[in-house]
Amino acid sequence: MNEQALTHHERLEAAANDRVKFGFWIYLMTDLLMFSVLFACYAVLHGNHVGSPAGRELFSLPLALKETLILLTSSFTCGIAMVAARRGNKNMTLFWFAITFILGLLFLKFELTEFRQFILEGHTLKTNAFLSSFFVLVGTHGLHITSGLLWMGTTMIFVMKRGLNSALVRKLSLLSLFWHFLDIVWIFIFTIVYLGAFA
Amino acid sequence: MRHFWLGKLDSHALPHAWFTIGGTAVFLLAALITVIIITRMKRWKWLWNEWLTSVDPKKIGIMYFIVGGVMLLRGGLDALMMWLQQALGASNMPGIGGEAAHGYLSSEHFQQIFTAHGNIMVFFVAMAFIFGLINYIVPLQIGARDLASPFMNTLGFWLYVGGVLMVNMFFMFGGEYAATGWLAIAPLSGKVFSPGVGVDYWIWSLQISGVGSTLGALNFILTILKMRAPGMTLSKMPLFTWGSLFSMLMAVTVFPLLTATLFLSFFDRYLGTHFFTMTAGGDPMMYTNLIWMWGHPEVYILMLPAFGVFSEVVATFSRKPIASYKSNVIGMAGVSFMALSVWLHHFFTMGASTDVNAFFGLMTLIVAIPTAVLFFTWIATMRGGMIRFETPMLWFLGFVAIFAVGGLSGLILAFPPADFQLHNSLFLVAHFHFNVIGGVLFGIFCGINYWFSKFTGFKLNQRIGRQAFWCWILGFCLSFIPMLILGLMGATRRLDHYDASTGWQPFFVLMLIGGIVIAIGTVLQLVQIFASVIQRHRLYDATGDPWDGRSLEWGTTSPPPSYNFTVIPTVTSFDTFWEAKKNHALPGPAYEDIVIPKNTAAGIYIALFAFLLGFGFVWEMNWLAVVSIIGIIVVLITRGYNEHSEYILTAAEVEKNEEKRAELHKKRLEQHKAALHEEEMGLVDFMRYMLKLGMNYIRQKRRKRT
Amino acid sequence: MKHGQTKSYVIGFILSLIFTLVPYYLVQHKVAVGRNLLVAILGLAVVQLIIQVVYFLHLGRKPTPRWEIGFLLSTISIILVVTAGSLVIIHNLHSNMSIPDQEKTLVNSEAIYQVNGKLTGACQMIRANHQVIIKNNTASPRYVSADKCDTLTFVNQDSQRHTITFGTHTTHSSYAGVSEFELRQGKPETITLSETGGFNYHDHQRPSIAGSFLVLYNGQGQ
Repeated sequence: MNEQALTHHERLEAAANDRVKFGFWIYLMTDLLMFSVLFACYAVLHGNHVGSPAGRELFSLPLALKETLILLTSSFTCGIAMVAARRGNKNMTLFWFAITFILGLLFLKFELTEFRQFILEGHTLKTNAFLSSFFVLVGTHGLHITSGLLWMGTTMIFVMKRGLNSALVRKLSLLSLFWHFLDIVWIFIFTIVYLGAFA
Repeated sequence: MRHFWLGKLDSHALPHAWFTIGGTAVFLLAALITVIIITRMKRWKWLWNEWLTSVDPKKIGIMYFIVGGVMLLRGGLDALMMWLQQALGASNMPGIGGEAAHGYLSSEHFQQIFTAHGNIMVFFVAMAFIFGLINYIVPLQIGARDLASPFMNTLGFWLYVGGVLMVNMFFMFGGEYAATGWLAIAPLSGKVFSPGVGVDYWIWSLQISGVGSTLGALNFILTILKMRAPGMTLSKMPLFTWGSLFSMLMAVTVFPLLTATLFLSFFDRYLGTHFFTMTAGGDPMMYTNLIWMWGHPEVYILMLPAFGVFSEVVATFSRKPIASYKSNVIGMAGVSFMALSVWLHHFFTMGASTDVNAFFGLMTLIVAIPTAVLFFTWIATMRGGMIRFETPMLWFLGFVAIFAVGGLSGLILAFPPADFQLHNSLFLVAHFHFNVIGGVLFGIFCGINYWFSKFTGFKLNQRIGRQAFWCWILGFCLSFIPMLILGLMGATRRLDHYDASTGWQPFFVLMLIGGIVIAIGTVLQLVQIFASVIQRHRLYDATGDPWDGRSLEWGTTSPPPSYNFTVIPTVTSFDTFWEAKKNHALPGPAYEDIVIPKNTAAGIYIALFAFLLGFGFVWEMNWLAVVSIIGIIVVLITRGYNEHSEYILTAAEVEKNEEKRAELHKKRLEQHKAALHEEEMGLVDFMRYMLKLGMNYIRQKRRKRT
Repeated sequence: MKHGQTKSYVIGFILSLIFTLVPYYLVQHKVAVGRNLLVAILGLAVVQLIIQVVYFLHLGRKPTPRWEIGFLLSTISIILVVTAGSLVIIHNLHSNMSIPDQEKTLVNSEAIYQVNGKLTGACQMIRANHQVIIKNNTASPRYVSADKCDTLTFVNQDSQRHTITFGTHTTHSSYAGVSEFELRQGKPETITLSETGGFNYHDHQRPSIAGSFLVLYNGQGQ
């Protein structure tokens, strides 16, 4: 598009869009830094299991792989949904986001099943430093997924009500950034926590 | 059932000691008086619409100053209480009040005071003033109408207010604050040593205001990087903006670390996890490690905007552009770059091997190099300049003297062997205060004296300002030079009583006297403001550029309209405004449509819920915490999907508004001319004026009665 | 352009799948062990990070993403500082100082001697000073009795160095977080007696130089 052809207001709006995206990007970076503390704690404390079983004896790799694949797929469907959103195809957008939403829920379900099993076996976050750091690291990621789902749900409702206007597409693109970002964090949880326990 | 609704809160938590009753009474009284005054003046609506819900960074800046100023008095009172205790704390002195063997405070109470003092001064005074200055000045300096996200700005401010409330809540509920020092080092902050609610208040006041600081920092970065006036490349940015940018970059980097660490500490206390406990594999050293990763950069976050203020002031009052702009920026960049590579020097004695200590010691020493570069640019700027010794310049010179000593004492501490001797002595405390008072606080005072006319439309009284400055300098030297010496004599920090045979008491008495002189200086600063208000016509800033300034903020009127500039200026060089002024080439009036964000109360609501969330967790009222989280989500959703958050001020409306402002200016100018013959008020004049005012009031009352 | 976006997601998805399954296979089938395996899977995770950043987040494709990339890179370097720094430092601290000693030192350097009426072990002030003079390979007095938070100064009047070690010659221990220190002529060393109880010290090279000190809690605050 020609820069000159834009009106004053359009230019202002484009600049505002650019700022919002960049601002959200910085937010994601701060979130990454928060995770870095949790990772650091896990790295330092994961050996301190004080007589209770270590990660190697607790974790199930196939389950972790299942969670990883689900989240990865949801990250992919989220991207596809964004392609539809940018095209202005409301129904396809809603369809793909609905799939993403379901996959997110499924991921949460597996994660909670895992937590529940640990707790039933008596391995709670009070047991030792290793389990504290495990539950908090993975739980924080789960909490992010939950808030992402909440955000996705409300945005979908607004898309149904108001159609795909520019403000909502902007929100969706931020949401997709957030979702991809959560998948990236999960890669490292999968690698360091689950795979690392067996290394 | 009772436990469900009230958690741990019961009648024991209500105030029963003299200081909690006193504190509660003061707060309730202050609130009552404020409410009565506002109600009688019928200003509630005005307050809500014009100030509390405002998203104008200039108004938010002023609100930061007001709350920060109140907290400065509160934290200063803490300091005076400590100085008094230490002056009375020698073993040959009789205890007062029976509750303590020495002095008048119990050890527990003394510890709570120094903890609160540290938190309040760093988080709720220094951060507040720095954020206030950036809010007000940075958009003006870069030629922007507003911040990138006005909403995030009010949210950050109100979260800060939530933190302020939280840190003072213990007066009313609980009666105890953390007694663990300002960083609440584990294991002292764990449940074993601190079972009460003090540490929880500490955690949540920092958590709430810390999130606010992160949001604020993010917003300022966006604004500075994306909203500069056309033509203002990074290399043409004013130095205060540079300092703010570096500071805020550090803030978005390290505040998330603080947030995470505080959450872990909270989980340890609330959920029973074992991150920093001494049992079940927890590691207290990890806490020390993490908290200093934030704690050390934090002082640089405070320091760099102050450096920026000094750079502006020294250039303006020497009537020269800053000597070597590039070196100055590189110096600031160097300081911020080093910020995250020195944190281990806070725990040299904890068993790190020689190599590690040497590395961090060296890194710490290297910080002196960029700092020295900054000093040299300032000194070189003064050289050959026409220096005017107005109050901002005085504060700058005071800073140079005091900060140099602070920096040099820091170099001593940077050597691990010396640190082994000094690290828990008063020498360290003195070093810190030389830097933070001499650097940050003087920078804040300097900035306020410099930009005051921008904020209000009239300059600050210079006569009383000078007296206040000299009181501060004198008081500072009297109280902190003895502290350095005491540290070398072996006095440990956080000392509430000591053996008389140590011979320390004369020094502590000297420190108390210094503290009183500083208090007088603070009172004089308040008098300075009141006297300036009284003489506002005389001190009226007719041009908007009272100091013959160099950067863009002096190109607007004082105070600027809500949209800052009628037309965004175009920048061609670092000194565009100065050059335009000297060539008489300032642009004439022109108008365009302006997008104005609407006021919003969403920030207030979210901060209120955040406060309740913290309060719920402090007292284990889980229902309150849950309700608050839901509240925050609901407000966020309603705010986030509101598509009518701004409106457009058309060019015609802007012109009309500008005409109205011009008329007001004309009126003010006449009043100013009529008042020009008045002499600038001195302290005695002020007292005489206040006396007359009081007498008149009484006379009027009497007349009414008869 | 629009079609290209879908393609980019598909490529990213397939590559990510590969880079998830490969490390899983490596671990499941124990292709390598220990540190090598850890490094390998971390490397693969970093590759997947780059893949997702490029194909999912589309960084580096838009006209002006310089700031975004700058922030990402600086964030990654800070994450490295935080995580690697913590690991190295904590490991270093623990390998040089036992955890109980660390706690004593930590508490002592905070200089907060009581919280909620409970003593922390820190000395809040320094009281009387005691001296031990080491001369002609004997320490005198051999026995010192002191109150908690007094100080004890060792003075070396011999020409050679002494290494003062806590505990007896056979069983080394530590006092208030310190296990041993060098004592040179004319350079006295002072320790704060923050720990109560009876303690021994000796010269590690010349066990004949030995002594003991008793630190009592005097009960009157400190």
